[in-house]
Amino acid sequence: MDSTNAPAQMRVSLHINGQLRQLDLPPNVVLLDALRNRLRLTGTKKGCDHGQCGACTVLVNGQAVNSCLALAVMHDGDEITTVEGLAADTQHLHPLQQAFWEHDAYQCGYCTPGQLMSAAELLDNDNVGTRDTDVSEAMSGNICRCGAYQNILSAIQQTRNAR
Amino acid sequence: MSEQIIGAAAPRVDGPDKLTGRAAYAADHFPEGVAHAYGVYSHIASGTIVDLDLAEARRSPGVIEIFHHDNFPKLYRSPATFAQEDMVDETRVPFEDNRVYYAGQFVALVVAETFEQARAAAYKVRVDYDAETTAANLDQAIETNGTVPADSHTRGDADAAFEAAPHKIDATYTTPVETHNPMEMHATTARWADDGRLVVYESAQGVVFARNALAKIFDLEPGKVEVHAEFIGSGFGGKLWIWPHSVATCGAARELGRPVQMMVPRQQMFTTTGHRAQTRQHLRLATDDNGKLVSLAHDTVSATSMINIFPETCGSASISLYGCDNVRMTHATAAANQGTPTHMRAPGAGVGLFALESAMDEMAEVIGMDPVEFRRLNYTDYDSAAGLPFSSIHLLEAFDTAAEAFGWSRRNPEIGAMREGDQIIGWGMASCNWPAMRMPASARVALRADGTAQVHCASQDIGTGTYTIVAQTAAGELGLPLDKIEARLGDSSFPRGPISGGSWATASALPAVAAAAREAIETLKTYAVNPSGPFAGGNIDDLVYTAGTLKDGNGKSATVAEVLNPQSLASAAGDAQTGGAPEGEYSFQSFGAHFVEITWDPGIAELKVTRVASAIDVGQVINAATARNQVEGAVMLSLGSALFEATNYDERDAIPVNNNYAEYLVPVHTDTPKIDVTLLDYPDYALNELGARGIGEIGVTGFQAAVANAVYHATGKRVRDLPITLDKLMDEA
Repeated sequence: MDSTNAPAQMRVSLHINGQLRQLDLPPNVVLLDALRNRLRLTGTKKGCDHGQCGACTVLVNGQAVNSCLALAVMHDGDEITTVEGLAADTQHLHPLQQAFWEHDAYQCGYCTPGQLMSAAELLDNDNVGTRDTDVSEAMSGNICRCGAYQNILSAIQQTRNAR
Repeated sequence: MSEQIIGAAAPRVDGPDKLTGRAAYAADHFPEGVAHAYGVYSHIASGTIVDLDLAEARRSPGVIEIFHHDNFPKLYRSPATFAQEDMVDETRVPFEDNRVYYAGQFVALVVAETFEQARAAAYKVRVDYDAETTAANLDQAIETNGTVPADSHTRGDADAAFEAAPHKIDATYTTPVETHNPMEMHATTARWADDGRLVVYESAQGVVFARNALAKIFDLEPGKVEVHAEFIGSGFGGKLWIWPHSVATCGAARELGRPVQMMVPRQQMFTTTGHRAQTRQHLRLATDDNGKLVSLAHDTVSATSMINIFPETCGSASISLYGCDNVRMTHATAAANQGTPTHMRAPGAGVGLFALESAMDEMAEVIGMDPVEFRRLNYTDYDSAAGLPFSSIHLLEAFDTAAEAFGWSRRNPEIGAMREGDQIIGWGMASCNWPAMRMPASARVALRADGTAQVHCASQDIGTGTYTIVAQTAAGELGLPLDKIEARLGDSSFPRGPISGGSWATASALPAVAAAAREAIETLKTYAVNPSGPFAGGNIDDLVYTAGTLKDGNGKSATVAEVLNPQSLASAAGDAQTGGAPEGEYSFQSFGAHFVEITWDPGIAELKVTRVASAIDVGQVINAATARNQVEGAVMLSLGSALFEATNYDERDAIPVNNNYAEYLVPVHTDTPKIDVTLLDYPDYALNELGARGIGEIGVTGFQAAVANAVYHATGKRVRDLPITLDKLMDEA
């Protein structure tokens, strides 16, 4: 990671939760760290920094992505949704958030933003079947060390079935 | 106390914060001017640092300072006592000297303006070591460094009874290093205020312990240290006490005169923040001709670090779970070049009952008895180790309830006899057992004019639901709706609360909250009879409080607002201190049972846990939803222990080789069996007024044995070495 030949800063435009945010960033800033440290959108969590746990999952152009595996500058012009932007407004919870609350689909809450964002993608993804095993398989990139998997599955299934 | 609110499956009061990203964890705080730290961690496990070449790293953009053993400030060690609530497990302060005792030990700390700059510079630090030979695992530790005895228990003569008995088993079980790996990596954000106070956002299971330890290390009055942990990304014991990164971060912040934040990388969550120690457990059980246990010996050796002694007390449950007159329990440690071990969810019994409950099945087989019947036969309601009766034991009902839910009566005991298609089905069971502890605690409750009440307690919610059950307890006492209670935890300046560990936070904190709520009502009454109060001149004994309103005997009533507002009072507050568990009359323990189904497909070597029925008695359940979630989570954690988890150290140099979330396997969504939890819900009022015993750990105990017993039932292979990986089940070619 020798920075001597790289430009010190690059301009990047990110459409985050419906807002255009322009940042001047060193090219080695990871998307996760740009969200957390520079934009102070700390709802997105760092769990491993290696794409192994899913805690940092955000939607990029509607697709669930590990934000720790991408440089921020690679996402110039992209639409990014974080947990802060999941609900339509701050007065209401998204149906998934409501279902997670009702089903106690978390414990410590640290993996929860990532679980929610992966689940949000699932809601609109017809490639994932309707059986419990389909959903569990699709969600298996999001580790919950507290082990609230059974409740997370119930919450997702309730939300999917209601659509 | 409202019956409706205690025991209700109330949704968590902190749910919306966690679901919207508002909940702020230790690394979500960015004090003004915060700098970022990144560690340089030792690549060797034993030896000395000969040279540190910092030239290139210092030229790296944004670097503020690089700390190491030659320039880090001289600090003190914490005495590491429970009595003074300043425990740490690794007592060595980082950068004390140039010695290296384990791989992953802090060698240097780079502080830079941004996270990226600190990380880039840390990679440029060149370290020359003089490496020495290592003890990489328990076997090497015993061979190289020998064993050191720890605690023990003896009654009767286990050896003589074993020799004389007609039926016996003698087996050794091993468990590997397991690592907590909470989703939130350990993190510290430290700021020194202008008045000399140290303010720390720490991922801590005990803000009071963290405050006291930091005060000792930095030689400050405890009142000069403030530790915040409003939200913690769980801990499982790994965050009970502070680890070197906290000290390093606080020290750097002091030296630089500006706030510093550091998160421990996932790789070093395996090295410098504790783990469950590797164990070797020798079990010898013997029965008479009727199947009664006549001898039980549980001798454990576990690995510890070169710096500190931490025994994994595997036999702690074995001495009292079953009736037996001749018992020996010993623990010993052997020093390895690994980081210091610590408590991991259900320390001791967590892996200890893997051995005992596997051995119980082996013993049952020797005497040709059903595993449940064998345990029933050796049931006792008396703790022979403590010499006291159990306060409340419903183990037999737990067997019945879980067996019924599971369908155990349909079990064909013959090995490999239950099949479905290509799959062989195995059914196994085991008992659960965890002590119920209660510690002194304090809390403050304030009734406010706006109809709300605040609760303050320096305990924490690590994900178990403490915010919610604290609010439920206050709501019950005050007769207020749950959404009118604001529970505040995770701040060391609040009244002294319990650690979130040992399954004792509930049993300790809630009595203090309930008592403080009653004190708040008494305070309100004294204000009400003040000269400017609504009952001026009245007698407080005539006032009755109901749901936010005081009434006298003459039909007059006044709300909290009507008491406080005319007197310009903000609140009517009550403080309470409650004691620890009553001593001398009872042994307080929780019991339960796990029944487990596994499937083994020998054609494709696939092993799955498919179904679990658990019945657990933890006294009064405070919140049915969060309590069930605790047991389900415990099942998942111990499913990982049973099938997947082991931190492997290279035997040549003691370097952990799978220290990441891809190669240290933990259960994911698709590994989840159907889990059916029954909470027996018998209040244990001898322990506290709520009858609650705590629930965090008991579900972890016995589960791995239930899996191993089910695997044996399916395959005929008795796996005594965790985890039960596929290679241990495949037939040799």
